[in-house]
Order: sequence, then structure tokens, then C-alpha cells
Amino acid sequence: MTDTTTTVTTSSAQQHTAESLSVWLVDRIAVYLKRSSDQIDATVPLAEYGLDSVAALSLCGDIEEDFDLVLEPTVAWDYPTIEALAAHILEELSTQAGAA
Amino acid sequence: MTTAQEVRAAARIAEIEAALGDPADPANPVGQARLLEADEAGELLAAGEKALEALNLNAEFVPVELGGRLERIDTLVRVLRQVFRRDVALGLGYGVTSFMAAVNVWTEGDERQQARLAEILLDGGRASVAYHELAHGNDFVRNEFEARVQPDGSFVLHGAKQVINNAARADAWLLFSRTDDAPGSRSHSVLMVERAGVDPERVTVLPRYTTVGVRGCQLAGLDFTEAPVAAEALVGSLGQGVELALRSFQITRSAVPGMALGGADAALRTVVSFALGRRLYRRSVMEIPHARATLGNAFLDLLISDSLSLVGTRAVHLLPEETSVYASAVKYLVPKLLQETMYELSIVLGARFYVRDGEFGGFQKNVRDLPVLSLGHAGSAACQATIIPQLPRLARRAWFQDAPAPAELFQPRTDLPAIPFRRLALASGKDSLSASLVAAVDELPDGSPEEVAVQSLALRLMDELRQIQEQSLTLSLEDRTALASPASFALADRYTVVLAGAAVLGVWREARADGGDPFLADPAWAAAALDRLVRRLGYQPAALPASCAERVHQELLRRFEEHRSFDLYDCPLAG
Ligand SMILES: Cc1cc2nc3c(=O)[nH]c(=O)nc-3n(C[C@H](O)[C@H](O)[C@H](O)COP(=O)(O)OP(=O)(O)OC[C@H]3O[C@@H](n4cnc5c(N)ncnc54)[C@H](O)[C@@H]3O)c2cc1C
Repeated sequence: MTDTTTTVTTSSAQQHTAESLSVWLVDRIAVYLKRSSDQIDATVPLAEYGLDSVAALSLCGDIEEDFDLVLEPTVAWDYPTIEALAAHILEELSTQAGAA
Repeated sequence: MTTAQEVRAAARIAEIEAALGDPADPANPVGQARLLEADEAGELLAAGEKALEALNLNAEFVPVELGGRLERIDTLVRVLRQVFRRDVALGLGYGVTSFMAAVNVWTEGDERQQARLAEILLDGGRASVAYHELAHGNDFVRNEFEARVQPDGSFVLHGAKQVINNAARADAWLLFSRTDDAPGSRSHSVLMVERAGVDPERVTVLPRYTTVGVRGCQLAGLDFTEAPVAAEALVGSLGQGVELALRSFQITRSAVPGMALGGADAALRTVVSFALGRRLYRRSVMEIPHARATLGNAFLDLLISDSLSLVGTRAVHLLPEETSVYASAVKYLVPKLLQETMYELSIVLGARFYVRDGEFGGFQKNVRDLPVLSLGHAGSAACQATIIPQLPRLARRAWFQDAPAPAELFQPRTDLPAIPFRRLALASGKDSLSASLVAAVDELPDGSPEEVAVQSLALRLMDELRQIQEQSLTLSLEDRTALASPASFALADRYTVVLAGAAVLGVWREARADGGDPFLADPAWAAAALDRLVRRLGYQPAALPASCAERVHQELLRRFEEHRSFDLYDCPLAG
């Protein structure tokens, strides 16, 4: 299995790191919340910013789309900060790429 | 072929009809006159509750494996419809609240909890579903009522719940409680708490709320002060409350609107009776074209609503991974259609619509009672908000790609497998119902003018799905949240209309293949129903063959005269 602390290459040949995923998530979430990216802290629970349960389910669809991943819809409930979510996506990318 | 499940369902309905009798009979202790008096007094009719208890109606809410009669959600709807037909308040206040509570326990409760709740209900007891708090409404993830977790795993309940049906007299409460201070969707849990297990000094029943409709329902609040309850109260796991709620809601949202169809059936019956009896301009009101068309359309709206409700409830069994969207569609569209129908019917009933007693008095009661279906248990907008974030995903991955639904989805009398409580998914990535519409378009017959009409209307609906797909793909991120723009809500609305069309088409095609019900097998009603839906979307389809409205009208008259229900079942009624 790939070491999740390093980079993961997906079918789209993109290199993902915890940091690039964080940046991607911050951008997405900033749009949801109508704030600028620099107002989002990766260690603060998303619910603190008002991301409700329905919007969180929707976020899962976006991640699936952009990374060609299948996730539990509740992923943003279980990994409530951007930091946690990025780490989880990276792990899933490596598992699901390995399984494919 | 009549199956054992169908025999049981039909027999149970006949039993209930016989016990509750002819609503119009003034000597009937649970007839309309008595029900109206109880409503005026703000009470549930005691004789009605007694009759339902004698029927052991609660058994309908308890799965067969636990000693009850619950095997199918569509059958539950069909049975309860007979109660709602007489009194929406009795349906909700005697029973459905207990079902809404119990579904949580059937979904995630452990063996002991399931056995205990089954015992309570089968003994004629009640359960309350205490989810909402006035302060937070549909935004229940922000609810504050606390079940503080103690080091030994037990809980201390603290805080209040308001507007809870049967709060004061239930034997058990299902309490949606905060078990973690953190914000978000993992901070709540569901507890099943028996009244007998709480120190009476530590719980106060708050004063009753009076309402415009369902006046007999006993809506009250509960206020707990540092009340300890055992660890065994927890249903499912800690922090799983939001998820459990969203999954249980799929069953109840699919089921309750179809039950309320009984109220609209009664209202239509009242207005047909009026239109046939009243003479104006030297003819009956029924012979006035506008009145006649309005009544035919009302019958069609009931058939459309029942088709969507049928598909929604059968999907719980057959397509549990897709039910999240269908349940919200049923809960959004059916109450809305029924309320609009009531408004149209009130125009024909004229001034009598305003009268509170006598032959037509039940009508205004239904006008007041039925809106509770859109208000209680997730409002219309909240149901749309459940659909909206799923649209882009369906647009990308499901529409025009998925395989059609199994034929059984559309067959009202075909057996179903057990309710897969644990397989209900939070969000759906598939849509076999609309796939059935798409698949059907190529295979539709085009022999008769009515069939040609069905074909072109189905094509129009498929086109609409294509447009919904395009627009869903361009939904911006913020347009997928609860704070989405009104345009997203309109998109969800249109999508539910397409789903209703797919349901109608499926029901007709299966009835046609089966041949058992000559009316449902006739393309006339399907064409007329699809025409209504397509017009609802704002289109002006070609005029239907006159035979369509005529066939629907004749069927309406036949069912009125023969005392049979105005739904998909054409079921014999006691009056
Ligand atoms: C007769 C009756 C019986 C009841 N019985 C019970 C019971 O037994 N148990 C129980 O727990 N509760 C019960 N309730 C409470 C009821 O279910 C809740 O109050 C209700 O679901 C929340 O609705 P609200 O009208 O307070 O709406 P709010 O949440 O205050 O909403 C107000 C408005 O805001 C908008 N809105 C809300 N959410 C969204 C969204 N997600 N997206 C877009 N717009 C939105 C809508 O326009 C909505 O109408 C009962 C209520 C009634 C009337």
C-alpha cells in the first residue's frame, strides 16, 4: 500500500498531497460559505463556519467528482475539519487506487 | 394471482371499514357528526380511539417479526388511509405519531428495545417522537435539548421539547438529544425513554398548544430538569442521531402523505355528492362543465398522488439506496397537490365550504386538517433542500444512464420483501424511477389516440428531465445548500413533477400488462394525469381526445355510486 504521507497519483495523473488537498478544500468551502479563502482555518470544525449537514452531504459529491473517489456521504461529518478531511481523502485515494 | 400479502391487506381493510362504519350515518358513534363535535371541542373522539384500540391498530406499526402486522409500507399506508378518511386527527393522534417514533427503534434499536417497544404498542400504549424544538425548527442539527453523558454511560436529560404529539400521555418518548457540545452532525443521539423510568419530579408537561387543524391532537411539550436515565436508553450509537433521523424520515416521509389521501378522498366524495344533488340553471351542478372538469381533475390528482406515494413506499423495500430522494419528493409534492385539490374543490362546493356542521361540515375540517401534512415533520422547503444537493450528482451519474426500476415497483398488489431498515442510504446516487420513464418512451404503444397522447406527454417529460439535467450540472456550489437560490428550489419542484409522471406511467404500463383493473389499464387516465403534470410544468400540450376526460368522469361516478375508494385500489368502502 502507498504511504499516505507521501504523494498519491490518480488516474488523471494529478499529484495530490495533504497540502494540495487542503488548498482545494479551502477553496471549495470558501465558496459554500461566501467567504474568502484566507478566512478559513483548516483546523476549525466546518460546522463552526455554518456548513450544515445537507451542504456537507453535497461536498461529498464534489470530492467524488473531482477525484474520482467513492466516499461515505457523511465523510464531512466524520472528518469535521479541513485538515482531517484532507488526510482522509489522501488515504482513500491511495486505498482506492491500490484496489483498482 | 392474489398473493397471501394481498389477501391479508384486503381483509384488514374490510375489517377496519366494518368496524368504523358509514361516516354519513348519524347513528354511527364514529361517524362524521360525532367526529365534527369532537373537533369543535378540541378532542380526539373517544369512541374513535376505542374502536381503533379494539382493532389493535397499533399492530400495524409493529413488524411481523416482533408480533405485529407491519410487513409492507405501502400496505400500512393503505390501511391507515381508512382512518385518515374519517379523521386526519385520529390518524395522527391515535397512531401515526407512534409509528414515527417506532421507526427509529426498528431501524437502530437493539433487541431489547425493539421487544419492549413492540410490547408497549401491542398493549395499546403510545410512543411520542420528540425531535423538534421550537427554537430551531427544521434546522434540528442545532437542537439544544441535552442528554449529558455520564462517566458510567448513563445520561442526564436537561431541557425542553415543544409541540410534541401525545407528549403528555405517551408511555415512551423517542428523544432527539444533544450528546456533545461540538457543532455539527455527530453531536446528537436518539434515546428511548419510558415515562415510568423518569422521576416525575424531574419532568414537567408543558401546556398544550391549540392549532387551526387536527384540533383533537394533543400537542404539548416536555421540560426535563437534570433527569437521570439509564445507559440502555440509547438507540443505536452515540453521535448517530442525525443519521438515524435522516434514515427514519425516509420511511415516514414516504408513508404519511399517502395516508392523508384518505382525507382528500372524503372531501372529493362530499363534493361529488353535492354536485349531483344540487340543481341550478335547471340542471345539476355536475352538468356544469367547469364543475365537472374540476371534479375529474381532483380524481386525477388523487391518482397521481397515489402513484407517487405507491412508488415512494415500495421503493423503501425495493430501492432502499435511492429512497432519500423519493421520500422527499413524496413529502413535498403529495401534500401540495392535495392542498391545491382542496382549494379547487372548495370552489365547486361554494358557500357550503364555509359551513361547520351537517352534511358538508367535514369539508372545512379537511381544509384545516390536511395542511398539517406539509407543516409537520419537515416542511416543504426542507424537503426540497434535501433533494437539491443531490441533483448535480444525479445529473452526472444517474439520469439517462441507470437501468430502469423493477416492474414490481409499480404493481400495487404484488408481494414485497421485508423492510430493509438498515439499508436506507443517506443520499442517493441513482434514480431508477426516472430511468423507467426514459426506457418506456421507446416502447410505448401508439395504436389509439389515447395511447398517442400518452406517448407524446411521456416524451415531453423526458425532455424536461433533460433540461433539469442541464440546469443541475450548472448549479453553483452555494446553490446546493439550504441557502440555495429560489431557482434551485424551482428545479427540485420540477424534478418531483417528472418523478410523479414516471410513477403514473409505470403504474399504467404495469396495469396494462396485468389486465386485472380495466380502468388502470386504460390509457385514458394515464393520458389525462400526464397532461395535468405537463401543464403543471408550464407547457401547453395538444388537446387530449375527449374520451380521456369522459372515461375518468365515468369512473368517478361509478366509484361514488358503488362506494369505492378514489385511489389506485378501487377499494370497497363502508359508505
Ligand atoms: C400539528 C403539529 C404536530 C407536530 N408534532 C410533532 C411531533 O410529534 N414531534 C416533533 O418532533 N415535532 C412535531 N411538530 C413540529 C414540526 O414538525 C416542526 O415544527 C417542523 O417540522 C419545523 O417546522 P417550522 O415550521 O418550525 O419551520 P422552520 O424550520 O422554523 O422554518 C420556517 C421556514 O423557513 C424556511 N426553511 C426552513 N428550513 C429550510 C431549508 N432547509 N431550506 C430552505 N428553507 C427552509 C421555510 O420557508 C420554512 O417554512 C408538529 C407540528 C405541528 C404543526
